Amino acid sequence: MYTRNLRIVTFAIVSMFFLHSFAENNWNVPADKKARNSTIKFDATTSKVGESVYTKNCVSCHGDPTKGNSLKSLSPVPPDLASAKTQELTDGELFYILNTGRVIMPSFNNVLSEEDRWKIISYIRSFNKDYVQQLSISDTNKSQLVKVDMAFDKKSNQITVTVKANEKTGVVSLKDDEIVLFANRYFGRLQIGESQRTTADGVAVFDFPKDLPGDKDGNVKLVVKVNDDTYGEISRLKTMKIGVPTDIPSMTADRTIWNVLFKPIWIIVLYTFGVMVFGCVLLYLLYSLNRLRKAGNI
Amino acid sequence: MATKSNTDKITSDLLRPIRLNKSFVIWMGFLGVSLVICLGAYGLQLKNGMVVTGLGDYVSWGMYISSFVFFVATSLIGMLISAVLGLSGQKWASPLARIAEIIALAFASVAGIVIILDMGRPERLLNVIIHGQIQSPILWDVTVVTVYMIISALFLYIPLIPDLKICSEKLKNLPPFARNIYKVLSLNWNNTPEQNKIIKQTTRTIAIFIIPVALAIHTVTSWLFANTSRAGWDSTIFGPYFVTGAFVAGTAAVIIAMYFFRKNYKLQDYITDNHFDMIGKLLVLVSLVYLYFNLNEYMVPFYKMKESEAILIRDLFAVNHAVLFWSVQILGLVLPIILLLFKKMRKPLPMLVIGIMVLLGAWFKRMIIVVPTQEHPYLPIQNVPLNFKIYTPTLVETLITIAPFILVLIIITLLAKVIPIIPVHETIEQLEDAPISPKGDLK
Ligand code: HEC
Repeated sequence: MYTRNLRIVTFAIVSMFFLHSFAENNWNVPADKKARNSTIKFDATTSKVGESVYTKNCVSCHGDPTKGNSLKSLSPVPPDLASAKTQELTDGELFYILNTGRVIMPSFNNVLSEEDRWKIISYIRSFNKDYVQQLSISDTNKSQLVKVDMAFDKKSNQITVTVKANEKTGVVSLKDDEIVLFANRYFGRLQIGESQRTTADGVAVFDFPKDLPGDKDGNVKLVVKVNDDTYGEISRLKTMKIGVPTDIPSMTADRTIWNVLFKPIWIIVLYTFGVMVFGCVLLYLLYSLNRLRKAGNI
Repeated sequence: MATKSNTDKITSDLLRPIRLNKSFVIWMGFLGVSLVICLGAYGLQLKNGMVVTGLGDYVSWGMYISSFVFFVATSLIGMLISAVLGLSGQKWASPLARIAEIIALAFASVAGIVIILDMGRPERLLNVIIHGQIQSPILWDVTVVTVYMIISALFLYIPLIPDLKICSEKLKNLPPFARNIYKVLSLNWNNTPEQNKIIKQTTRTIAIFIIPVALAIHTVTSWLFANTSRAGWDSTIFGPYFVTGAFVAGTAAVIIAMYFFRKNYKLQDYITDNHFDMIGKLLVLVSLVYLYFNLNEYMVPFYKMKESEAILIRDLFAVNHAVLFWSVQILGLVLPIILLLFKKMRKPLPMLVIGIMVLLGAWFKRMIIVVPTQEHPYLPIQNVPLNFKIYTPTLVETLITIAPFILVLIIITLLAKVIPIIPVHETIEQLEDAPISPKGDLK
């Protein structure tokens, strides 16, 4: 009896501990990230864009905000993002959660653009009447001063990224910035190597894989992302002819019956033949009817 | 030999229904009003779009397409009775040929209309032709249904030519313009040996040609399903499975029509108990073949229980669609077969009841084939309202679905009002060949 009670008590304590740790909603967001704010002003338009991004990327797990119809089969259950608990988080925290993710909650850092991520937050905030936005004080135009160069060296098979800012006072190299390089794939982006930090000259070097498939001509769309404290997040796209030329027709390209582009000859022949036989029979019948009419004249 | 009085009796018996009477007007009035109500429902669908139906992204083929398959199926009976039985020398079936042809023509021509009901933008119908993809079974289907309709119309018309002449001569109480129409349509028929020969030749040509066409129309309809890889449709026996199912539905339709024509047109001497007996046996035969195909179609996947198929089979056998599935199989197929094995059951009234059971079963069977598969796609359905997952037809949709049935009844009633539904010329001719009294057995 005693041991049983003890077991129940232990169980209760343990479960309370677990419940507590979930209830705490603790995402451990670093203070500087927590204080981060959007440079985009939230309004009806941004929230509208946010809604459509949300519908594509989040609805499947989180359901419609305020409806409480998130996917209950997951553990933890994805919270309703209109709920008070989520709304208590700062914009910076939401942004951080979106960027990093946690176990089931995916990271959207490399999937959605920074702008889209903020617009989703704008959408999430539209369910909170008491919300007052604090705009980021950093200058949004600053990022436009940044020039990102990408060069490929065939011999070493390396990509050199150079990041510079054209300030009025002269050209400044951005040093010790985090640089991430991606190749665009069919679904999402593929990160190339590890992220690098720029040297004092604003240079980061990436080893490029020799076997990355490109399109028919070997073109690969590269995206480089720069994170700078002063200039913000910068991302640039460049198409380079450095992949392995690849042209694999889809497995069904030249055979399925529903294929729109490809008309199999045997079908054309059979169909035409069938229609022609019908035409002949029809002509014969009409001709016979005409003969029948004439044969009635006696 | 056919005596003059015999010939006259046959002629007057068979032409008697061709006149306006009260019951015809009441019946047509009833059909007309019902059709207007259903068209009103269709107006709603045109105005508001397909939201008025229970169709959606997952189940996009519901009652309309099931009806379409049913209509195409039923129309095959023309080929079975007039062509197959005719060519194989089954003389007993010849008085039923015209009824079968009328049913075939009515169902085939309305089948095309049923497809239009399923279109959210019917004004784009011509795109099927303009942007038709020759490798798409949908284009083949449009082609063969049209061909079958034309051939069925000729199959009805050509053997009718001598009767049209008889109509124009004997129906003295008709207004002259109506008799003129009969005359024009009878193409100068004078019963000359050469004309008789031409009729025989052409009828035979059509009888032979219509067999592959009819097989094609229902096989192609089955390919609309079988050429996809969805669980439940991905089957190699769908062609013959549909064709045999079609014979079951069509035979039931002919039985029902036989019963009403015999009763209302007082044709007891021409559509005899023997005809019911024979067509009852025919129904058993085609039903047994169909049962055999059902066994293959459900037993084989049930034995293997491949994952995707297993979900569907479980749903059909034991979950959502179980009641409908087993009712259709037992009440619409197994029970009729057992009942019809007894001679007592092959009498007109019991046959009518069985015919209705089989025909209803045939319609619901199409639902069982078309709908449940779509409720179980390969990718999971997530975060959608319940009514997206489980197809529930709406009232408006039901009314619209009824419309083509009314249309079929109108076509059959009208055709049966203007032409003798038992071939007059042929009956007299048979009498001349084999002297039997019209009272007796025509066998
Ligand atoms: C694969 C399912 C899934 C998808 C897709 C998903 N989430 Fe989540 N999300 C979760 C889960 C599960 C949690 C809870 C994680 C935890 O507490 O560890 C969560 C938590 C969150 C939180 C924290 C809420 C709180 O109150 O703690 C936010 C904010 C969030 N998600 C936003 C988003 C947004 C915005 C998107 C779309 C861009 C998205 N999620 C897409 C599963 C998902």
